[in-house]
Amino acid sequence: MRRWTRHEYERLMDHGFLDEDDPVELLDGLLLVKEPQHRRHRTAVLLVARAVERAFGEGWFVQTQSPIILDDRSEPEPDVCVVRGSPRDYVDAHPMRPALIVEIAQTGLRLARGRKAAAYARARIADYWIVNLIDRVLEVHREPARPGPARRHWGYAAIETLGADATITPLAAPSAGIRVADLLP
Amino acid sequence: MRTMADYETRTRRFTRAEYERLIDLGVFQPSEDIELIGGELMVAEPQGAPHYTAIRKTARALEAAFGPGWDVRTQGPIGLDDESEPEPDVAVVPGAPDDYARAHPSRPVLTVEVAESSLALDRQHKGSLYARAGLPDYWVLNLIDRVLEVYREPVADSTAPFGWRYGRGEVLDASARVVPLAAPGSSIPVSQLLP
Repeated sequence: MRRWTRHEYERLMDHGFLDEDDPVELLDGLLLVKEPQHRRHRTAVLLVARAVERAFGEGWFVQTQSPIILDDRSEPEPDVCVVRGSPRDYVDAHPMRPALIVEIAQTGLRLARGRKAAAYARARIADYWIVNLIDRVLEVHREPARPGPARRHWGYAAIETLGADATITPLAAPSAGIRVADLLP
Repeated sequence: MRTMADYETRTRRFTRAEYERLIDLGVFQPSEDIELIGGELMVAEPQGAPHYTAIRKTARALEAAFGPGWDVRTQGPIGLDDESEPEPDVAVVPGAPDDYARAHPSRPVLTVEVAESSLALDRQHKGSLYARAGLPDYWVLNLIDRVLEVYREPVADSTAPFGWRYGRGEVLDASARVVPLAAPGSSIPVSQLLP
């Protein structure tokens, strides 16, 4: 399939092929159609945003379903991500290296674990969480690992699955504790 | 093989009108070899010498078999449907080049793909797309096994990528001859097509 660069992706938007409401994101050159927004998905986005906002506090801000730049062929719109600084720091360019990315996944679970995890790992995103709505667990992906004998693609070397009664501490907010139950709709 | 229902690879589809606008706007590089297949932008396989030789031989053989009144096009766009503008390796259309100065032809009487690495794509994916469009005569010149695969009689099949497939498929080796449906008085040795 033909891959798009980020520059071309922006031209598509400029020429009106895609607009802000299009449920599309550029990942590794592919124009991926995003998971449909069910009510539970939306609720989880709001819960996660509130919980991480509290956990990170001053000096950070939380953006939901907004673009970030990973590389020349990736401009995804993660459900939630935590970025250093304030929104005004990014008037001219999208953030590039969130301290935490969270995706809410139901039908898109394979995508979140596969293609997205690979793209985030390759961009050295240190802390990537998947709120798995099917099994009602939080999957915590850490330690980006390059392809080698053990793995065909970029991925995460440390993956932990936490149940609703567990507590998670973001890597970049080491003194915070978030109850997984608070993230689930 | 990609499937439409697989969420992992669900990408934004383009209509043929959008695709032609993208070309007019110069969004693609002139050197790019892409086709619109069922709304997806596919990159054509790089052409090796055998592939191109097979295209030239097939085009010559079909020109001789069809004679005047037909145009044999090589790797030219076909306006197949609202979300497809493939560029088959060889296609035979009625009339002369000038007949298609304003719009691409849409219904070749014979469509040929030369396949090496693209064999599975040409058989299932493009085969299903061409069957859905009702193309009556579809040949896959299979360079790996050095045979000609002749597909005819489109039938509906919900398990096929585009809901249709060819009901009849025949495999002809280099010693056989093939008669195009739209040129019933001719007979082409398969060996004349193979590089």
